[in-house]
Amino acid sequence: MEEKRIGVYVCWCGTNIAMMVDVKDVSKEMEKLPGVVLAKNYKYMCSDPGQDMIIKDIKKYNLDRIVVAACSPRIHEITFRNALENAGLNPYMLQMANISEQDSWVHTDRIEATRKAKSLVAAAIRRVIHHKPLKKRIVNVHPNTLIIGGGVAGMSAALELSEAGKKSFLIEKSDQLGGTAAKLKLSFPYLNDVVNDISNLIKRVEKSEHIQVILNAEVQEIHGFIGNFNGIVKTTDEKEYSIEFGNTIVATGLKSFDAGKLKNYGYWKYSEVITSIEFELLVKQGVVVNKKGIVPENIAIIHCAGSRNENYNNYCSRTCCMSALKYANQLRNLLPDANIFEMYADMRTFGRGCEELYTSTSRKGIMFLMFDQRAELPLIKEDERGNGVVIEFKELLSGEEIQVPADLVILMVGMEAHENAKSVSHLSGISMDSNGFFIEKHPKLDPVATTTDGVYVVGSCQAPKDIPDSVSQAKAAVARILATILRGTVEVEVTTAEINADICCGCQFCISVCPYGANSFDAANDVSVVNEVLCKGCGTCATACPSGAISTKHFTDEQILSQIEGLMAKVHELEELETN
Amino acid sequence: MDATKNNKSKLKLAIYWGAACGGCCVSVLDVHEHLYDIVAAADLVFWPIALDTKYKDVEAMEDDFIDITLFNGAVRNSENEHMAHLLRQKSKILVAYGSCAHLGGIPGLANLSDKKELFNRVYLESESTMNSEQIFPQTKTEVKEGILELPEFYNDVRALNQVTDVDFYIPGCPPTSDRLLEVFTAIVSGSELPPKGSVIGAQMKPLCDECERKKSDKKQVKKFLRPWEVIDDGETCFIEQGLICLGPATRAGCGYRCIKGNAPCRGCYGPTPDIIDPGAKMMSAIATAIDSNDPDEILEIIDSIEDPAGTFYRVSVPAALFRKKIVENNVEVKIT
Repeated sequence: MEEKRIGVYVCWCGTNIAMMVDVKDVSKEMEKLPGVVLAKNYKYMCSDPGQDMIIKDIKKYNLDRIVVAACSPRIHEITFRNALENAGLNPYMLQMANISEQDSWVHTDRIEATRKAKSLVAAAIRRVIHHKPLKKRIVNVHPNTLIIGGGVAGMSAALELSEAGKKSFLIEKSDQLGGTAAKLKLSFPYLNDVVNDISNLIKRVEKSEHIQVILNAEVQEIHGFIGNFNGIVKTTDEKEYSIEFGNTIVATGLKSFDAGKLKNYGYWKYSEVITSIEFELLVKQGVVVNKKGIVPENIAIIHCAGSRNENYNNYCSRTCCMSALKYANQLRNLLPDANIFEMYADMRTFGRGCEELYTSTSRKGIMFLMFDQRAELPLIKEDERGNGVVIEFKELLSGEEIQVPADLVILMVGMEAHENAKSVSHLSGISMDSNGFFIEKHPKLDPVATTTDGVYVVGSCQAPKDIPDSVSQAKAAVARILATILRGTVEVEVTTAEINADICCGCQFCISVCPYGANSFDAANDVSVVNEVLCKGCGTCATACPSGAISTKHFTDEQILSQIEGLMAKVHELEELETN
Repeated sequence: MDATKNNKSKLKLAIYWGAACGGCCVSVLDVHEHLYDIVAAADLVFWPIALDTKYKDVEAMEDDFIDITLFNGAVRNSENEHMAHLLRQKSKILVAYGSCAHLGGIPGLANLSDKKELFNRVYLESESTMNSEQIFPQTKTEVKEGILELPEFYNDVRALNQVTDVDFYIPGCPPTSDRLLEVFTAIVSGSELPPKGSVIGAQMKPLCDECERKKSDKKQVKKFLRPWEVIDDGETCFIEQGLICLGPATRAGCGYRCIKGNAPCRGCYGPTPDIIDPGAKMMSAIATAIDSNDPDEILEIIDSIEDPAGTFYRVSVPAALFRKKIVENNVEVKIT
């Protein structure tokens, strides 16, 4: 076996690592290990001079493997892989040792931290010996897009794609487009009429030659992978569409919290109590009456109905405070003499124009009352005098137990994930959080992509959202998709599973365990085969394979066991080892 | 190999048993009338089960005097180890023959106990033992005629390659006579030998490749069963019937005789080439067949596996990553 030529680079990360780890000692010790041609330490390996050092050394000393001991590979693996590539080395000939998050940051004993750094770097050196060059894989991208959900997010995405001349299939479960936004009269914070905006949006969608709207329909099946999906859409009248697409946008929206669950509010008991959704319908019709048909004189708007409460949903629905202020304004205009009570737990009017809406609303003769969300919720009871209901609670600002009379109570119900979120998640291969909202790839830096390449989440199916946020997400997702369509090809995961057909005996343990449906059985040859484009390299099948026929590229048993060997052995023991 | 090229001189063949049951030696006899072919091509220079050659005769041989030694049995005591080193020195080719020499074999299951536990069980506790004086075997015992010696019983069992350098492995408990003949014929005819360290007389692919039972991707088990608990339909994959069969983790080559006899594979032909720890590989595969997502039920299903160490590592405890029970500073780590 040819000699391995390893370069080791230990990063100071300014003082982040150097403060707790004797980086000079680490590089000096590592130079003694078999296969290591040189070991250096430098203040910032990720900086341009740091990377240049690696590139020059690769060329000058004919290095064929690199170990960088620095921070988490999540941060800089791509940086150093690129450096290797620039030096003409395959990027997978790199191994990083994390001596920052896994060492200097979490220890207080410099001697022990230095010893640990040596173990981590030695492990990386033993591992990199077994690295093999991997080839990038490229697939073509189908230019069509599937959009699930015809609300404001889904429609915005479809129109944006249409602007670029790209076709989309817009699948809507109900018999009309518009989603939750179509139920609204005014939008916050500027109290603009959105009825026209939304109906114009719908018209534009319907007119676009690039958008195929399918109403009363649900997606039954999705197969394939980024760039190459196919699916089946079925309508309620049993019509079936077979479609092909390169990307998927999930925009399935939200469900309102079920107000009947709130024991203290008597939603089903009192005809005076309605939800915010019902109120939107009333104002849209221009007549505000309670369920008895009476025009109210005392109106209570109760915030956080089902939100921010450990008995219901823990999270904040983000839009209800502004909507509640909007209602106060609408009511003040429609019923100038009515008494209006805003009963809130915390006023959360963040975002442009929203705090201003709060301030201006507070000047319109509206009574703001605060209740304690962590104590017992306000209790709605029948008014003994026969005038609707009374709401009993302890008002926090005054500290007094008070009773508010009301002949109309509006419960600001929060947003929840759809019941069918689970089936959508299975269908499209994306994950849900504990509340049923879909999880994005990265909460900060990749907020619309998901861990399944080619599948994006936009709007309130990802988390409660207002219209502009939904629209922004929709357009962001389209930007991502257009980038792949324009390029025409995408790079797919290279650290995939690999099946050695000379060993595979067709026992099929690997088929059902694959979460991505990437493995199938080739009956003609009596072996399992892996679709490398579908495969995410999670390693589940390699673990399940009893025959040792499946390995995960870049995570082979040999690589991992060598890494463990490096971690467990003392430096002087490692000096004796061979490099093959 | 030099000896094969020199047609005038016959091959010199030795067969030895370490910690073994004798089955491997019998498997050589099991070639029946082909034994004549063997002795026509090779002189048996040392074979304790059949010949009266003494150890001192072997010690007197020149180094590399023997062309091929088939060493069966594991290394349990100092005598086994001495002979392993001696035969290595005297043989051009040393073959680990059979599961015990290959992976540690059935004697290797004793690595789940240490010497003290074994001696207590055998010389004190066993139901048929009366040893009120608590006498244990000694390596040296003085009697009036002189000193009697016994080999030292080690704390653990080792496979042959954990003691000395091995050229080839012929797996099986015992290796089938057909495979032995094939290997022998190949050597005698001067065929090119595979790289040192190869497993010979077996295939790359696992047993399932030969097995004719129907298999599918539906391996979902609610309870693991022992053979007597199943009315075998004779045609469905044993694992799909809830039985643990080591077929998918074991090399083919045995002619799947156990399966033909309606018994699941016990793994005696050892792991396929890329498996580092055969038992662990099969355990993780079996874990994926557990048909439940409920942690309590999963534990219950796992508990239905009778004797996991003896099931998954029946012939391979010494060759496993854990190798033996750890007994250190009086802290015991239990493996089973």
